[in-house]
Amino acid sequence: MRRTRFWVLLLGGTALLAVLGTFWLSRSAGGGTVANVYQDGVLVWSIDLSEVREAEELTIEGPAGGNTVQAEPGRIRVSGAGCPDQICVGQGWLSGGVTPIVCLPNRLVIRLEEGENELDLDGVSG
Amino acid sequence: MLWRIPVLAAALLCLLAGCGQTEPAPVTVFAMDTMMELMPYGPHGEEAGAQAVTRLQELEKLLSVTAEDSDIGRINHSQGTPVAVDGETFALLKAALELGERTGGALDITIYPVIRAWGFTTDSFQVPEEKELEKLLDKVDYQAVQLDGEGQTVTLPAGMELDLGSVAKGYAGDQVIALFREAGVTSAIISLGGNVQTLGARPDGTPWRVAVRDPSGAGLAGVLEVTDRAVVTSGGYERYFEADGERYWHILDPKTGCPARSGVASATVVGESGLVCDGLSTALFILGAEKAEALWRAMGGFDYLLIGEDGSVTITSGIADQFQAAEDGLAVTVVTQ
Repeated sequence: MRRTRFWVLLLGGTALLAVLGTFWLSRSAGGGTVANVYQDGVLVWSIDLSEVREAEELTIEGPAGGNTVQAEPGRIRVSGAGCPDQICVGQGWLSGGVTPIVCLPNRLVIRLEEGENELDLDGVSG
Repeated sequence: MLWRIPVLAAALLCLLAGCGQTEPAPVTVFAMDTMMELMPYGPHGEEAGAQAVTRLQELEKLLSVTAEDSDIGRINHSQGTPVAVDGETFALLKAALELGERTGGALDITIYPVIRAWGFTTDSFQVPEEKELEKLLDKVDYQAVQLDGEGQTVTLPAGMELDLGSVAKGYAGDQVIALFREAGVTSAIISLGGNVQTLGARPDGTPWRVAVRDPSGAGLAGVLEVTDRAVVTSGGYERYFEADGERYWHILDPKTGCPARSGVASATVVGESGLVCDGLSTALFILGAEKAEALWRAMGGFDYLLIGEDGSVTITSGIADQFQAAEDGLAVTVVTQ
């Protein structure tokens, strides 16, 4: 009996730890407002928008003249681009939602990581 | 008996801590004029992902409307003479024309000259003159495309142009999923410019959670849970311009040559075939709720979710239980057989 109780306790304890661990991991993954900037699929800039105090800017080279990405407290945008259509500049500030800023000619993507994780999403159709 | 308990404990710990899960091998590709994200899971994922990139680039070369030496480019410059094409192009054209037939011409792969007149191919947007539209619409008729199965040739009357933009991404998605499956991947999700397609379930066995965008804003309308399905949405919000206070979007009604105004703000189609879902999402957007329902009853093999310009949500019974609206209390109408 004592042996059984030992294993039951161990089983219960490890299960509880695992659940807590998983909960903590998922919370820390979805808690921030991190903007990730990718160029041709490679992460080139990751910035927590909730910790931005003053405007920051980064120029990223690309096949169509590159992009200038600007971060302000709580939001991020493409402020300048060498591409002909300027769609990425026209998309304006990104501060929430699941629609990434995309500059196809420069293969640049800016994505907020929080929106998708809260709802445990794998993808967005549309 | 007691020896089983530590084994069970170890297994449970492993499961809860996630070490039974496989790792994804994400790939981003820019092809077919859009951004594509592939997420195959498991030990074969990386190799399969690399193969898929090559495959997508091959398909782009075959199907691009802007490259003069692609199959589609050659057909468009053929001045009415038969053009021998790749077996793959032929099969896709055949499927697209069949969808044209099934949808009563709502899906028409010969609409390209009209899309160009609106400036959607070049981003120099304009509202064309009525007379110009009338003239262009004379050259829009999917039934005029002739396919000859023996020599695998395509004949397109002079002055007409083909564009597979409404089906090519769906077809490409089917090809990627098939390639993944052959490579031994059992769990994958891909997004080809917003066309989401899934292979199997998530690595943990639960369904994939795919959001449907709210057509009236930046947020979400809800989430669909799917396994082994394509989820493709067409919406006026994807590409549009505004002139004189009016919004003109890129999905044109082949009957009028103007942006389709059927009361639908976005049409999402769920089914096994990405090609069919892709083509039908455009068609249902053009047809509107009533005709979409009639098509669903007549054709079968797919489900849909329509969001009206008035915010109403209509969903077919096959996926009604898999849909969670983002807002509580949202009125959802379920269409049953």
